[in-house]
Amino acid sequence: MARQIYDWDYSNYPGAKKYPHVFSPIQLGNLIIPNRIKYAATEDNLNSHDGFVTDEDVAYLRLRAQGVAGGICTMQGVYMDERRYGQGYVGQAAAWDDKFIPGLKRLADAIHAERAVANYQLMHCGRVGGVETPFCEGPSAIPQRLRLFKPVHEMSTEEIEISIQQHIDAARRGVEAGFDIMEISGIVGYLISNFLSSYTNRRTDEYGGDVYGRCKFMTDIIRGVRKEIGPDIPLIIRICAWEQLDDVGGNTQEESMIVYQEAEKAGVDSISVTVGWQESIVPVISRDIDFGSWLYQAERARQHVKVPVSMAYRLFHADMADQAIAEGKIDYWENCRPQIADPLMPLKYLEGREEDIRWCVACNVCLARLFRDAPMTCYINPTCAHENDPSYFPQKADTAKEIMVVGAGPAGLEAAWVAAERGHEVHVYDTRDKLGGTIIDAGLAPYNDDELYRIIEFHKAQCDQRGVEFHLGEEVTAEMIEDELPDAVILATGATMSTPTFFGGDGDNVITLKEALYESKPMGDNIVIWGNKKPAIGTALALAKRGKKVTLVGKERTVGKDINPSFRWRYNMFLRQNGVVSYNDCDIEQVGDGQAILITYDGHRVPVTCDTVVIGERGPNPALKDVCRENSIEFYQIGDCVVPRGLSGAVHDGYKIGLRV
Amino acid sequence: MAEVQERPDVKRPKPFDAEAEITKLWAKCQSAQDEIRRTFFQCRAAAIDMAGDGADEEAVTLKAWEMKGKDTAKSYFPRVRLDKPNLVENIAKLFVSSWRNQGAVVRLQKSENPDEVFIVWERCPWPTAHKQYGVSMALDVAGCDHALQTTLADVALFANRKLKIETVKAIPRGEGACVRRLWLEAE
Repeated sequence: MARQIYDWDYSNYPGAKKYPHVFSPIQLGNLIIPNRIKYAATEDNLNSHDGFVTDEDVAYLRLRAQGVAGGICTMQGVYMDERRYGQGYVGQAAAWDDKFIPGLKRLADAIHAERAVANYQLMHCGRVGGVETPFCEGPSAIPQRLRLFKPVHEMSTEEIEISIQQHIDAARRGVEAGFDIMEISGIVGYLISNFLSSYTNRRTDEYGGDVYGRCKFMTDIIRGVRKEIGPDIPLIIRICAWEQLDDVGGNTQEESMIVYQEAEKAGVDSISVTVGWQESIVPVISRDIDFGSWLYQAERARQHVKVPVSMAYRLFHADMADQAIAEGKIDYWENCRPQIADPLMPLKYLEGREEDIRWCVACNVCLARLFRDAPMTCYINPTCAHENDPSYFPQKADTAKEIMVVGAGPAGLEAAWVAAERGHEVHVYDTRDKLGGTIIDAGLAPYNDDELYRIIEFHKAQCDQRGVEFHLGEEVTAEMIEDELPDAVILATGATMSTPTFFGGDGDNVITLKEALYESKPMGDNIVIWGNKKPAIGTALALAKRGKKVTLVGKERTVGKDINPSFRWRYNMFLRQNGVVSYNDCDIEQVGDGQAILITYDGHRVPVTCDTVVIGERGPNPALKDVCRENSIEFYQIGDCVVPRGLSGAVHDGYKIGLRV
Repeated sequence: MAEVQERPDVKRPKPFDAEAEITKLWAKCQSAQDEIRRTFFQCRAAAIDMAGDGADEEAVTLKAWEMKGKDTAKSYFPRVRLDKPNLVENIAKLFVSSWRNQGAVVRLQKSENPDEVFIVWERCPWPTAHKQYGVSMALDVAGCDHALQTTLADVALFANRKLKIETVKAIPRGEGACVRRLWLEAE
């Protein structure tokens, strides 16, 4: 007899009418879930290094549980061995002993407090594990493709049997902690996927051989866990539909479907479809991948198994999920990064508050942080991982102030709405007649960079709701500040373009990034861009797409030093694909008709064909600072005008100053 | 260069001389290559010294080459592509590239058998360096061979292919060139 833990009536919510499939119930095993939303397991590195759950992790998860509006909320995967070979992240929760149950129970209780369904995940990280040990472990000692990961110790048969029992024991602890669903992670290079893949499993014993043999470790775990947890707790497994390891002899897509069928036969109630490994050389979830690109894999999986399937990868929006459910491509919708960026995203859909959603920009800085043993951070959400700290959230100001925000870019707008939320009267000025500042220009770069503008749409909605007044097309001058004498000024004027320091830098063939992007000044076919950070890279790609031959010249040692490592490799690939040559650790020495002479950090000179130089180096902007100081006005500088950085620096600066002003 | 307007704050650079630039760069590149070898022998000497009386010089040397071979293999893994044809040739190209970076004149010689190639070192700076540091030629051949075998063993393990390499000729043995045969053994 199927049961439902919490009753949810969505009939009066606008989102339920707009997305009827997403907000309809689904049965997993013997459990009815009120909607078809699942927050997927996300490591956050917030727990203690010995695996105990912390207040920070509980607060982080509770907010996501609130967001799923009665759906499934998954805790991060637990490692299950005392040796810690299975631990892939320094702040990963553990479940190798009963002493961890009280902490795990806090997570289950936090999810239940929001009337959501608590999902517990078992995750031995396999060849991605051993984060604090000299080795990790796997079915075979296949060398690591990425230097980041530890050498692999080949598991003996005895060690395999122990590991299976550890999964079963950890499952029991999850049930005792009060979780409603059990999930097994076998994705991206974690232990179960290592056993499944022909790339990493070369064993000739019963746990290796053909795809059926390679499934044995997984099916033994499924059967053991199923026996332990009984028939009433749904059992989910996450496995790859396509490993994206064809270049190193990984499973074929046909073999992956056999894996799915074996998992179903062994007793899972649902399968979460994923694509790619950490070691794949093709991108899967970065911004350049179009939304819904992997749905065909979920659809394929659905054709091979009868149990419900779900998917997360680049499926950020409810309309896409609703349509995919309607068309029978997935049974329910998973998301992870969108709820890192906005924990309440699905709830906002339900309540018809889509304009309040702070959209993930698929930059993968969250992953970059985790792999560098740092706590979770979100590029676009300043409160991420601070859920347990009330000082990180707007409180009413003691005194309402009249605040002038100069600059309607992401920094200024973020500060504006947060300050207005606190009760201040806020006026935003910008010389442009459109909101967005530099993000308008950044959105002209290819590979879906136009998605970045969605943060501005979020800002506009927040400002509008709180009565922020916009003064667009209006330049703020020193006289204006002196006349109006606001209580506080927030300078978010953006960076200035650097003055060329090279010989010939004042020529007609030297133009700015904006002039190049909008083609407001004539350009030749051979472009040298002075700068090798993100704005220069975006412009280089945009110009290359328009048929220009582009060369980047920058003082940073590597191109894209200001881009997080989990996304930088994508830009390096785009530059190569578009024939953009990059001279790093380098400067321009002189420019003349048809040629630029570059000079390396150690004085070597290189001639490059050049019709036009584009200034891509930026500097701080001290404008209006003095007038504020001289008039004793409380003032703040935020975003690129302090130090040119990126969207994240702007948003985080803006948020913090919005809290402080 | 066309005439540009003078600016008081920007000094006019000296004229560009391509030959001078290339000569300077080339000298630096060779100097860096020499430095790699000097560092190898310095570390080897330190290891033997630390091992104390009765240290097995050959064992220490081979261990050093083994570590170099293993690390070289790691840099090859991202470039191993089983989904492309000519695996043997591709791996041979990786070896060629590594040794060129060290200052050797080395080329790939195809065989009639598509699963076999020869790598020919027409000139290699390592025997000279061995002489300079008083290390025997026999140990040069053994060390280099050990590094290649180690690298290939790891690449073979990674790629799950029976790749083999053998030394056919060696400069330190007075044979004029180093020649290595690299082949894929039938399954």
